[in-house]
Amino acid sequence: MKELLKRLSLAFGPSGCEDSVRAMIEKEIEPYIKNAEVIKDGVGNLIVHFNSEGKPRLMVSAHMDEVGFMVTGITQNGLLKFGAVGGFDPIVLSAKRVISESGVKGNIISKPIHLLTKEESEGAPKISNMSIDIGADSKKEAEALTFIGDYFTFDSDFVEYGEDLLKCKALDDRLGCAIMCQLIKDVSESKSEIPFDLYFSFSCKEEVGYSGAFGASAQIKPDYAIVIESKAVSDIFGVPDEKKVCTLGDGVIISFADKGAIYDRDLVRHIMRLCDENKIKYQTNKFISGGNDSANIQKNASGCRVSVLSAASRYIHSPADVISYSDFLTIYEASRAVIFTEIK
Amino acid sequence: MENIKRILKELLQIYSVSGNEKMGKEAVVSLARDVFDEVKIDNMGTYILVKKSNKKNAKRLLIDAHFDTVGLMVTSIKKGGFLKVVNIGGLDTRVLPATEVVVHGKRDIYGLITSTPPHLRKESSKNPKIEDLMVDTGYEKEELEKIVSVGDFISYKQQIDFISGDYVTASSLDDKACLAAVIEAASKMDKEMLQYDVYVTASAQEETGKAGVARVAFDINPDIAIITDVNFARTEKEEDFETIECKGGASVDISALTDRRLTRNIINLLKEKGIKHQLVCEPGRTCTNNDPVSISGYGIRTALMSIPLKSMHTPSETVNLQDIKSLADILVAVSYEENL
Repeated sequence: MKELLKRLSLAFGPSGCEDSVRAMIEKEIEPYIKNAEVIKDGVGNLIVHFNSEGKPRLMVSAHMDEVGFMVTGITQNGLLKFGAVGGFDPIVLSAKRVISESGVKGNIISKPIHLLTKEESEGAPKISNMSIDIGADSKKEAEALTFIGDYFTFDSDFVEYGEDLLKCKALDDRLGCAIMCQLIKDVSESKSEIPFDLYFSFSCKEEVGYSGAFGASAQIKPDYAIVIESKAVSDIFGVPDEKKVCTLGDGVIISFADKGAIYDRDLVRHIMRLCDENKIKYQTNKFISGGNDSANIQKNASGCRVSVLSAASRYIHSPADVISYSDFLTIYEASRAVIFTEIK
Repeated sequence: MENIKRILKELLQIYSVSGNEKMGKEAVVSLARDVFDEVKIDNMGTYILVKKSNKKNAKRLLIDAHFDTVGLMVTSIKKGGFLKVVNIGGLDTRVLPATEVVVHGKRDIYGLITSTPPHLRKESSKNPKIEDLMVDTGYEKEELEKIVSVGDFISYKQQIDFISGDYVTASSLDDKACLAAVIEAASKMDKEMLQYDVYVTASAQEETGKAGVARVAFDINPDIAIITDVNFARTEKEEDFETIECKGGASVDISALTDRRLTRNIINLLKEKGIKHQLVCEPGRTCTNNDPVSISGYGIRTALMSIPLKSMHTPSETVNLQDIKSLADILVAVSYEENL
């Protein structure tokens, strides 16, 4: 699964531009969907349905998109002005390498340090003071390489480091996509009956808020939904325990709530019980923060029972998303247990 | 241009934080062996590469490009595998969060500079200070202590991208871009035409106080010295005259601390031969190796030349290969001219 996670994370797919990620997933699951229905809807979601009418509907959801940049203008001297696609802390942008959909490489330049006023050098960096430099010396040269509305993402490798950590761009939320691909394989190869009318939704545009999961849940009208996501944590040295949110390596995060939704109490307890029974390492969040597709899914259609399984992620929304590989495996095991166990 | 690219790539792959220049010894020797008559390294880590003229009793020309780069040093090892660090040389701390590094412990290991999420930062409106940042290694403390010790050096992880328009983006182009130009020039210099014995110094510890070069200059006692370094490239407005333009050629820098006659003679020579260059003024100190070399020994006649560089002291420094070639052309022309 690590190899699949790597390929998916390196694929190009900022919000609204998920095509290559979707294509990669389609290819990946192709051998396992003979008994499934595949829906590609208007907004760009890819939904895989294992029909089992009459049983409760379970929706498993992960988003395909990543944070990125959109070219908003080109200056006379060939620099690209850009806007954020998704939420960024501008502090992680300066001097980072970026790459466009067509493979044009560049880096983010800020006003040179010797030209900064005292206020600017001490204050927070602003995206409006940054540009993407792609090696063009004039507007005309730049226009031969890119265009207004072109997308860029971080150009950041997949690295395994330390004892158990993975670093790449877009692990948020390709880790969810990779797990869902594996689950689709498991379901298609399973000899035992699945106790759900089961939907997998690879959704789009999560990072910009008005997400594809909204439409996906309207079509599916699930009774239960689990969202597979990453969660921003700060388990670095010096941060007080209660503010770390969660810790890398301590297993799948089963949270009670985030800033957008309070998860279904019974479903959360059911998942914890499954983890206990199957000896799957899990942790709960010590700090209510962040948000994800669960709020959209919960509020849409007829309303449903929702829960989130997440990976603790350091430095999320930067060129270096970091997760623990053993945590990743516990999310897979927990979500697999949910799919194969009837909810009583 | 292909040869410049090759030399540059080899140089950029050597990690050489100030004070740790000797790490690159083998790579430098293998790169310089075919071009120079003599390759030496002194106690401080300055490489001295000599190419002799066929002339008897030739004058001596020193060409300097510093070999060291900015970086970090480990100051303590913390729980969870985090390293507290201090800067070596003047880092632009704005670029550090989420930057990838290599920790040179008993073996090289990967690290990431930490960033605190916005919801947990006390002062979200400030650029980070070095004391707020750490290096995340992913090891448990006990395991990490077997690999890393306090005092170990840390480099930006190298990523070399040849992008559009002959530009190259990488860390440590300051000053490896100039060193590549110098080595390229030396490989082009015809011993018959050479008016000087050429002493190239790839000097140590420029970034931390320009300590590596002056002593060597004293030893060599050259008749003239050319210092090469990078200078800020113009990325903002056109009337920013303290900067130089990419693709404008290497610059000849005019300063109170460079030799006026030598500089003027070089400019005239370049004009006469039609060699691409630009001019820039550094009225006071130049803040390069020029300054200590000019007062070394009994005082040495120096000229300063620069390659325009964007995003200085970051992991994404950017220069244009044409400007590297321009510097190489200038250096060859100078080495053939007896009366400067």
